[in-house]
Amino acid sequence: MSFLLRCPQCGPRDVYEFRWSGEQSRRPEPGSSLETWTRYLYLRRNEAGSQQEWWYHRAGCQRWFLAVRDTRLNQVSRTFWPSDESPPTEEKTAPSDAEGPRV
Amino acid sequence: MSAERLPSHLTQRIDRSRTIGFTFAGRPYAGFAGDTVGSALYAAGVRIFSRSFKYHRPRGLLCCRGHCPNCLVNVDGIPNVRACTEPLRDGQRVAPQHAWPSVEWDALAVLDRLHFLFPVGFYYKTFIHPRRLWPTYERVLRACAGLGRITFPGELPGDYERAYLFADVAVVGGGAAGMAAALETARAGASVVLVDDQLDLGGRWQFHTCSLGDEEHRGRAGYEVVRDLAAEVVAEGRIQVLGGATAFGLYEDGLLGILEGNRFVKLRVRQTIVATGGFEYPLAFENNDLPGVMLGTAAQRLEALYGVKPGRGAVVVTSDDRGVEVALDLRAAGVTVAALVDAREEADSPGVAALRDGGTTILRGCTALAARGSGRVASVVVGDFDGRRVSDMTCDLVCIATGFEPAAGLVGQAGGKLRVGDDGRLTPGLLPPGVLVAGEVAGVSGLSAILASGRLAGAEAALALSSSGARLSARISELRDELALRRGRADHRPVSALGSSAKRFVCLCEDVTEKDIRQAVDEGFDHIETLKRYTTVTMGPCQGKMCHRLSIDLCASLTGRSVEETGTTTARPPAQPVPLGALASRFTDPWKLTPMHHQHTEAGAELMDMGPWKRPLGYVRRDENPGDGRGRMSAGVDEECRAVHEAVGLIDVSTLGKLEVVGRDAVAFLDWLHPNRFSDLKPGRVRYRIMCDDAGIILDDGVVARLDEERFLLTTATGTIDAVEQWLTWWLAGTRRCAHVVNVTGALAAINVAGPRSRELLAGLTDVDVSAAALPYLSARPGLVAGVPSTILRIGFVGELGFEIHFPADYGEFMWSALVEAGAPLGVRAFGVEAQRVLRLEKQHLIVSQDTDALTTPFGANLGMLVKLEKPDFVGRDALRSGATRPATEQLVGFELDGATAPGEGAAVVENGHPVGRVTSAKWSAWLGRVIGLAWVPAARARDGATFDVRMDGATARARVVMRPSYDPDGVRLRS
Repeated sequence: MSFLLRCPQCGPRDVYEFRWSGEQSRRPEPGSSLETWTRYLYLRRNEAGSQQEWWYHRAGCQRWFLAVRDTRLNQVSRTFWPSDESPPTEEKTAPSDAEGPRV
Repeated sequence: MSAERLPSHLTQRIDRSRTIGFTFAGRPYAGFAGDTVGSALYAAGVRIFSRSFKYHRPRGLLCCRGHCPNCLVNVDGIPNVRACTEPLRDGQRVAPQHAWPSVEWDALAVLDRLHFLFPVGFYYKTFIHPRRLWPTYERVLRACAGLGRITFPGELPGDYERAYLFADVAVVGGGAAGMAAALETARAGASVVLVDDQLDLGGRWQFHTCSLGDEEHRGRAGYEVVRDLAAEVVAEGRIQVLGGATAFGLYEDGLLGILEGNRFVKLRVRQTIVATGGFEYPLAFENNDLPGVMLGTAAQRLEALYGVKPGRGAVVVTSDDRGVEVALDLRAAGVTVAALVDAREEADSPGVAALRDGGTTILRGCTALAARGSGRVASVVVGDFDGRRVSDMTCDLVCIATGFEPAAGLVGQAGGKLRVGDDGRLTPGLLPPGVLVAGEVAGVSGLSAILASGRLAGAEAALALSSSGARLSARISELRDELALRRGRADHRPVSALGSSAKRFVCLCEDVTEKDIRQAVDEGFDHIETLKRYTTVTMGPCQGKMCHRLSIDLCASLTGRSVEETGTTTARPPAQPVPLGALASRFTDPWKLTPMHHQHTEAGAELMDMGPWKRPLGYVRRDENPGDGRGRMSAGVDEECRAVHEAVGLIDVSTLGKLEVVGRDAVAFLDWLHPNRFSDLKPGRVRYRIMCDDAGIILDDGVVARLDEERFLLTTATGTIDAVEQWLTWWLAGTRRCAHVVNVTGALAAINVAGPRSRELLAGLTDVDVSAAALPYLSARPGLVAGVPSTILRIGFVGELGFEIHFPADYGEFMWSALVEAGAPLGVRAFGVEAQRVLRLEKQHLIVSQDTDALTTPFGANLGMLVKLEKPDFVGRDALRSGATRPATEQLVGFELDGATAPGEGAAVVENGHPVGRVTSAKWSAWLGRVIGLAWVPAARARDGATFDVRMDGATARARVVMRPSYDPDGVRLRS
């Protein structure tokens, strides 16, 4: 994996500067069923095609952004700030993270 | 020895005025400056360079190009060096490998006669019964097979480094096409890196000495043309030449992996021009691996570049005009060319006529059937394609000029597909984006066409880079016409005769024969990819360069499919072997030092790595007695603990992660992130925090100090700050919360002052009232300490009265000195991480990710009281709510153990011989006089007085559960 990724702040940079944080998914409403939570926490769509994912520019501006990437070709068609996502949501669309930002 | 050298010629790169001495197999040899190890040895009469992988057959120079495995030797302790490309240096110690007692007389050559024991896949066939002997068989087989050995233990000589380069265009290959492409691109204004794996630029045109027939270069030889071109390349300021450098991988978005000597170069470009030319490959016939059987270009290289006469009497086997050129070159070097064996029935040329007139027998419609000789070629059997013998020719050199393949490995790696061209060769069809091909790799032949193709690729790369390309477009169409006009053709035709001998080698690296491949296909491995995996053909050090096409042709003919249908195996990096040392070369991972680091080392600190930090594990005083026999370190730890319990200790906690969270919504944000509640925390107060994910698993712990209504200081563990910062900023990203996270880890230094006399020490240095009434446990105050603006937190990880001072990092040394000086009369002592770990265990304070794991919720870790489920939604709430009602199966408990030996971290807690839990921390506490620790045990045993067994060194020890800390269980000292 050696592709270039366009950080909305810093421009195209080597992918090794970034942390990949998995496909974006919506956090369940409080009080959701165990199955819904399990699906959110542990199951991934694992799209063979375009998906929207979280990236973090670790070795650069240290900001989170979203990217639309074709997982078959590693081609990134769009990168943008989460705040530019339309329509804007009042409560945050909770991002899911395959690994979770592990601490 | 000089008998084997030819008169000087302009193509030669050797300097006969400088003799270079070296040894081979312990015996002294000499060559000239400019020689390779291979050319010098060959000139000195050495013919056997190595023994083969499986059968220990003698092998000699075959390709002279750094491709085949035949000349792998050990040079100055480094195994698997290709003698034919390794520059000769004074005093080099060259040793043959994989042979005993010598390459000339190798005892294991007997294996060659036992070949019937080692059919393809013999690992699964011949040596499997009886089963119990397999380990023995395997050991013996492993010892017999293989290539070079590394000396282990011990380090290989050689120091590798890493470099990063950036350019507009990379040109791989410094032959005619590559140089033409580089010049064209550079002159259009682009920056170019030209990567060439040979000692000099020019590729195989370096040894082209006949006059060229085309109008562009009439009367000149190829070596003259490329020499002029090389001078232009070197003079062109926009071209950086990496000579003797191998581009072994071409990855996404224009990243090239290059090995340049001992340097691993990562080159990032916008366009890549692959001009890697092609390589000759051998022909399958009986004993085709005998020393003396050599590729035509190898003989030409020896002659033209190193002035070495490749043999006395030669037979040239060919299928096109390249063989005629080889024969003419040999004759010019004084080699008697006994016969030209040409696969073609017709085809006459002035060259062939000249050979015939010179006494060379011309055999048409023929090929080589077998080579004969003991250890080296003595004769060759020539016959027709049905395997009928026509003639035996005496010779000491057989030159093979039958197969020539484009070197398209890099294109394949990048995702390009090979197709069978009009000429029968596999050439790149569809190219990946950003990759262009030029020259012979693109199926172009003839110098003028190759140059045109290079210029075209160069112009196309420049066009792809430029925004306005009208002029370039015109240039490109002009070059396209020129290329169309000059494009030559070379035919590929199979030239192997039928034969059934067991010694027709397809793969020289791993001794795979034609018979092995036939047998594998019979066994059902008839797909090119399964055939490769079963026989290991194309998987050796040559990376398929010698055997790729041979195996495809063979597979196609055995299965009755066309070459197109048979397909090719997937090309993967590396295209050439790369030493692991180069890939592992020096990473520049920085480590971090606290501002007081040098004071610690001067005080004798033994350092440990914690995340990126170096921290004092403890302080060893050189003047002190080694102590009770448990070593100076442990004696020091005991004393450091005693200082904290009896007087006052200092520990540098600058490495703790520190975040400021500021803003109108800061408190709501913290309430969202933690199971704890912070909205009721008053400014000036501190609270222990745990953080969970949405599955309710503990991620991190630390404290939160509310410095102000809208300003909080969070501390995290040393190693988790980056992850915690990312976790926080991730939850903020895209929301409209007015909260800002600032990482102040490096900006603030911190010292924990702990012990009954810590208040006394601090009171003398600060204007803050540090009395128990004014600054109670879990509170925070700003103020001056030793004149430095600081924040004092009254918290304790160790079980004594304690103060944590956070202050600007620039004052680190000053503050440490001030505390040490002021504390001297009080008996102050610096303590390290080891003492801190003992002290915190006395209090049963857990460390997240040491005492907890990826399944630990606050309930299992006895931290359930911190979880405020009555709060509105927060991260982990739903999971914790259902967890709160489920009875825990395991519980983290404190324990005590008799004796002075602590179980290791991770030691099993056993019940009836079965593991039911584990020890996560255990230390000897000199203060308590026993071993104490934390362990996960079945919930039923989580009560005072229960016992459990811990496995230690094969035996078990009985531990007692203590639900409350052994030291100061009510925290009186902590709160004093």
